[in-house]
Amino acid sequence: MTESIPPKDEKQPRDAAFWAQRVERLEVSDVPDGASNVNVHGRREVGALQGFGQLWQKTYRVRLAGVEVTPGETVRVWKERFPELQPQNSRFYPSMAGVAPGEVLFISATVGGMPVHTGVRVIYADDESFTVMTPEGHPESGWNTFSAHADEDGTTVAQIQSLARANDPIYEIGFRVVGATEQERLWMHVLKSLSANFGVNEPVSLEKTCVDPKVQWSQIRNVWHNAGARSMVYTMMAPLRWRRARSRR
Amino acid sequence: MSGAAHGGEGLHASLQSLRGEYEGVRELERKRRNDMPQAQVTMDVRRVEGNVSVIDVKGELTAFAEGVLMDAYNQASDGRVRAIVLNFEGLEYMNSSGIGLLVTLLIRVNREKQKLLTYGLSEHYRSIFQITRLDDAIGIHDSEEEAVRAANAA
Repeated sequence: MTESIPPKDEKQPRDAAFWAQRVERLEVSDVPDGASNVNVHGRREVGALQGFGQLWQKTYRVRLAGVEVTPGETVRVWKERFPELQPQNSRFYPSMAGVAPGEVLFISATVGGMPVHTGVRVIYADDESFTVMTPEGHPESGWNTFSAHADEDGTTVAQIQSLARANDPIYEIGFRVVGATEQERLWMHVLKSLSANFGVNEPVSLEKTCVDPKVQWSQIRNVWHNAGARSMVYTMMAPLRWRRARSRR
Repeated sequence: MSGAAHGGEGLHASLQSLRGEYEGVRELERKRRNDMPQAQVTMDVRRVEGNVSVIDVKGELTAFAEGVLMDAYNQASDGRVRAIVLNFEGLEYMNSSGIGLLVTLLIRVNREKQKLLTYGLSEHYRSIFQITRLDDAIGIHDSEEEAVRAANAA
């Protein structure tokens, strides 16, 4: 795993400590208990420009009305309790360093009954926001930014903004059929859990914009890294791995 | 008469108190407005040789810069402009929302069949373009001359 850019001298910009260091490919030395490193180590990161499908910007918000909590406090809790706020079918496994620039978070999700092992890397984290970027094979290609800010009447608003497209044609079909709704339910669940953590029960709003309706046929080969297909093969091969391990003893 | 005078004093005192409260509320409003994050950025637009516009970005590129950036793009872009060059020599701060804005801008630029190029990025910001892989789609150049030359190339 990587570390954030250390400030070299006084001329470093104020944001220098918040950004992760550039890596050619994800390198993972420690895998947290329960996580699977099937589709993470060695993968390149992919942003909103490298995926296949339509590019969507989705913004989910919840107002933490009626409680005295600052945006900084909200994000601090969010970083600390990130895995606990996820639904049952989407498990996040942070490293020991937690949500910090350069750290990889492993994901084991179940989509339509099938396992998908993948991850994300924290590319940016400050006191009031953090952003994760997806690797090759992840269902999406892009970023998710988790942040909090004060609205006009001073109430803290927790927000998730994703800017991403489906990584390959299989995922694109999946998103159009049912995946997009499932994904929206997931992030709404996270905001509901976060607000419940502060004793708030407010509705979650969603604004979505199709930033680029075109699919990028030039990225069709992304399907080679499809984490869903690879996770399925990995799961099917489990008995074989078990037998091989037994014969080595 | 004296009752009326007393009544007048009472009314005066109430008005004074109301005025005080109103001033207090106004002060709080002013303070809150100052506390609210605003765009800390300016973007000046220049038309340079050929059909190229340069946007000089000075300050912070965050979510709050969206309006300023899109206004600058609208000003920089008309039917004849073939390329938009972002001058980042004055860039002081950028977070991940700023990167998101650049993606949105790039999609708009591509839709208009224009090119998007940059120059003046420090080592740090070049590295961020590489991390987020914006450098795959946005040309990065060392100087304005080089960027304009690339913009005018076929």
